[in-house]
This record gives sequence, C-alpha cells and structure tokens, in this order.
Amino acid sequence: MKLINKLSLWYLGLTLIVILIGGVFAYYQVKGEIDRAEIIRLQTLNDKIAQQIESGHRLDIQTNGRPVEIVTLDTSITQNFSNTTESSFYNPDIQHKECRLTVNSYYKINNESYRISSYNYITKANEIFKGLLNSFLAILILLAILIAVAARLVSSRVLLPFNQTLDAIQSFQLKDKKHLVLTDNKTKEFTQLNNFLKEMTDKALDEYSSLKEFGENASHELQTPLAIIRTKVELLVESDINNEQAQLLGDIQKNIEKLSRINQSLTLLSKLENNEYSSSENILFCKATKESLSSFEELIEMKSIELRKNIDKPISVKFHPALADILLNNLISNAIRHNIQENGIIELTLTEKSLIIKNTGKEPHVPTDQLFQRFKKGNQCDNSIGIGLAIVKQICDLNNIHIAYVYSSGWHTLELKF
Amino acid sequence: MKVLIIEDNHELADSVQSFLSKEGYITEVGYTCEEAKKKLVSFQYDCILLDIMLPDGNGLEVLRFIRSQNIESGILIMSAKNALDDKITGLETGADDYLTKPFHLSELHARLRAIYRRKQLKGDNIVQFNEIKVNTDTLEAHVNETLLDLTKKEFDLLLYFLVNKNRVLSRQSIAEHLWGDYTDSLDNFDFVYQHLKNLRKKIASAGGQDYINTVYGLGYKFNASAA
Repeated sequence: MKLINKLSLWYLGLTLIVILIGGVFAYYQVKGEIDRAEIIRLQTLNDKIAQQIESGHRLDIQTNGRPVEIVTLDTSITQNFSNTTESSFYNPDIQHKECRLTVNSYYKINNESYRISSYNYITKANEIFKGLLNSFLAILILLAILIAVAARLVSSRVLLPFNQTLDAIQSFQLKDKKHLVLTDNKTKEFTQLNNFLKEMTDKALDEYSSLKEFGENASHELQTPLAIIRTKVELLVESDINNEQAQLLGDIQKNIEKLSRINQSLTLLSKLENNEYSSSENILFCKATKESLSSFEELIEMKSIELRKNIDKPISVKFHPALADILLNNLISNAIRHNIQENGIIELTLTEKSLIIKNTGKEPHVPTDQLFQRFKKGNQCDNSIGIGLAIVKQICDLNNIHIAYVYSSGWHTLELKF
Repeated sequence: MKVLIIEDNHELADSVQSFLSKEGYITEVGYTCEEAKKKLVSFQYDCILLDIMLPDGNGLEVLRFIRSQNIESGILIMSAKNALDDKITGLETGADDYLTKPFHLSELHARLRAIYRRKQLKGDNIVQFNEIKVNTDTLEAHVNETLLDLTKKEFDLLLYFLVNKNRVLSRQSIAEHLWGDYTDSLDNFDFVYQHLKNLRKKIASAGGQDYINTVYGLGYKFNASAA
C-alpha cells in the first residue's frame, strides 16, 4: 500500500472516531439546550398562572390557550417546587410518535396547595440523532473526498525528494563504481535520509573497490612467485633424484598446477567484473561453437561419448570473440568431464534464440543454480576447481545472456538465451 | 642460439637462464629497460624473452625500440599480465609469440624453438632426431622415410618431446601444451597417457625406437641417449 494511502486511511479512521465522540457530545448538548429552554418557558408559564391565581384572575384566559392543568391538592406542601417529566406516545392524527415535556409546579397560595402542570411537544431524541448523523456523514464524505484529492496533489510535491532518492538507490550499483547523486531538499527527514544513504553508499563503494583491488593485486602478485616456484621445481626435477623425491615433486607440481589454475581463473573473473572485455562485435556463434568443439573432439572420442549436434545454422551474436571461446570451452569441457563413464551423450543445439548444451551425468550434490557460485562443485571429490561455471555466468551477465541450468532424470541441461 | 632474457625478477631470470644454458644456448639477462636497450644495441641475439612489467618502464616500449633499431631477433613476450590488450598490442608491435606466467619451462622452450625455426632458420622447418624426422610446416612426421599417420595432437606431442629431449615433461605441462589455456585440464592426464600410448605404438610400428620413458611420479622423458 502506498504511504499516502496509508496516511489517508489513518487520518480518516481518526476523523471517524472524533466524529463519533463529537456526535454523542453534540447530541447531548443539543438535546439539553432544547429541553432547558422549554422547561424555562413552561416554568415561567406556571409561575405566571400561580401569580394570577394569587391575584384572583379568571384562569381560562390566563392560560393563553395553552394546555395547562390546575389541580388543588389535598395534602399541604410547605414550599414551592417543581419537577419535569418527559414521555413519548403515538399520535394517531399525525401518525407519528411524539415526545411531550411536562413541567409540574407545586405552589402554596393563600393556604391552598396547587399543582400547576403545563406541557409542550418537543423534538424527539431520535430525530435529533438522525439529523446529527446525516450532517456528520456529509462532513465525513466531504473530508474523505478532500483528503483523497489533496493527498495526491500534496504528496506528489512533498514526497518528490523521497521518490527521487528512491529512484536513485534503485539504479545504484556497486559495480558501476559511480557515487550516488541525490538532489537537495528542505525537508529535515529527507535530508537526513539522503545524508545517511550518501555516507553508506560511499563507504560501500570504498570498501568494494579496496576489496576488489586486494583481489586483483593478490592474484596478480601471486603470478610471479608461482612462476618462480614452478620453474624451480622443474629444474629440480631434472636433477638426480630418487623415486621418493620424484613422488613428492610430482605432488608439488600437481598442486602448483591447481594453484595457478585457480589464480588464472580468479584473475579472469576480476577482469570480467572490471569490464575489461567490454568491446564486442558480431561473431558467427556457429563457427565459434564448431571450432571449440573440434578442439575437444579427441577427448570426446576417447571417452566414447556420443555427440549429437545441431549447430549448422549460421547464427550471428554480438559477443567478444575471446569471451565466446572461453565460454564455449568451459561449457563443452564441463559436459565432457561431468559425463557418465559409459554410453555418455552430449547434445548441442544452436538456434537464433538459444544455445542448449545437454549431457548425461550424475545428479549434482548441490542445487544446480548454486553451481554458478565460485568453488561450488556438484561433486566434491572430482578434480575440477569449481570456477568454470562462475566464469560462464559472468560472461553471460556481461553479454546480457540469460543462462539456466537444469538437472532432470540423468540429464544436465544448460540453456543460454541470446 | 643466443638468447636475451629481459626480466626484472632475478629468481625467475635465473631459472630460465639455467634451463636454457643446459640446452646449450648462450643467454644473457637484462633486468631493466635501460640495461636491455644497452645490450640490444651492442650485441646480436637470435631470440629475446621479454617481460612486460619492468621497473623502469613497459616492455612494450622495449619492443618498439627493437623494431625502430631494425633488430631481427625473434621475440617472445612473457608476462604476468594476462590481459588480452597486452597480447594484442604485443603481437601487433611485432612480437612473435606471447606466454603468460606462470609458464612451464619446457613450454617456453618449445615456443622459443618454434620462433627460432620460423625466424632465424628461415624455412628450415625440419626437426630431426636419429630416425625420426618432423616437418613443422607440412605437419608430417617420418620414421625412416615411413610417413606416420598422426593426429594433430600426436604430432604436437612428438614435436614437444623432440624439442625438449632429455627433459622430464610433467603431465601438466603436456596437457597444457596440447589443450592450451582456459581448459581446466586437471583431468586430462588420462588423455595425455592415451595420446602417448598411440604415438609410441605408431612410431614402433614404423620401425622406430621407443625413446619415451615414464618417469616415476613425474611424467615422461624423451631419452635421447637410449640408443
């Protein structure tokens, strides 16, 4: 729900409560005022009649046509007093319920006790209530409409800096290495938010670049010592050594190899991340696929893997040629390496829209989408270092290619959508 | 063959020097751009090994210097910077080949020999050892005038052994030589063995001697003194 809608609803809800309480209050106020005014009038009338009785005037005139009841009481009262009663009844003439207010006043005049009662019809409680309800409802509806319209107009102005900030963060990417640019504004909260975001993203950028720098330096600086170790071991191998030493040196060489592969792959990855291979041209993907495949033909043959290919259509894709090589080599060598021992099959299908590489293989131990992460391997004990697919993913991302990896019933399927 | 090694890292330069010296080459080392330029104007070299990152400048600058002086040496760039740009610029500026660190010394040697054959021997593309004769131009191999029916990989393998005679060639170095970079070739060792087996069989059936020995735990060796 949008912030402005939420605020409007809260405001309306609160208004509703206030109106309800206010309505009850208004009801009692209005009713009280009407009653009090009527009581005073009737009381005055009673008093006037009492005075007339005292002065001996004829009564029917003095009532001024008002329904007044004068009763001589048997009991004696010591003091003048009065009370009021209210009663409702059905009036068949107007077919309506009516409310009657009666004021009974007791007087002691010339040693006689009188009760003078006069009454009048007043507005019924539920009529007042209805009237109030209608007017408050009208107010409420008016308010709701006003809020709905005003909120939209005001929010687009007041929340403008907020929305701008939101857009800016959404398009912010660490990889771009561009500082977050936010427009200035006068609202305190938004200024605080912007300052905080600015500090945070600047810090993240700093740390990201220093981390990257470290990674790059590390893999670059490792190359020379690795080269030295490798050459020294190779020279040592040439010298007069016994079998045990040869075995040790062999193990060392194997691991230097592994180390240099990891290093090479990481260097490549960081280069890809740095967009060092941004230039791309239209290359014939079918040709690149065939070339890559031909370098693996012998391997495929030796492993007696059946190769089914449908890559003859001339298909041109915008791609960096060196990256296309790396991508295809990685994918095909994976399809060979992770194939089954006997009766393995590799299927390659190239169309205008996609390249699909399918191969038979064992079920991976981790979910397939995790295999795009660095050093994640489907099978921990095999000989690969687990960077190949991370490189593939990175290359695909760079070239806006969607890649999906699915395993189902003995088949690994990698689909690249151009 | 006379080789100039331009490399600022002393230990690495020593390794290369010691390896190439055993091959009977005359080697000299220049540790900086300046040193290298001085040597280049004073002496003649068949091949130059050139590092890109030097303390007093870029190796590509030395490369341009070599071209401007009309020095005819073959040039092999060896660099830790595995950047395509350097590779392309290097080859465009006139380098003959490009090798990234860390490299196998036997690979370095194979590349060096290839450059040497192309540039200095000018057309002499025959590599011969006893009864084995390899033509690097037509990619044909003969044993006692019998043409061997070799695959591309087997041919490459044979040439690699012939260039690196009496050297222990690790399976890693052979795999990398045959399958190149980027292929995660750690499990290609079986294929190295397979290719080697086929190669030995083909040489033997043509009446050639089996010079290739297995070196326990390490790899293989073309034993030139076996005869």
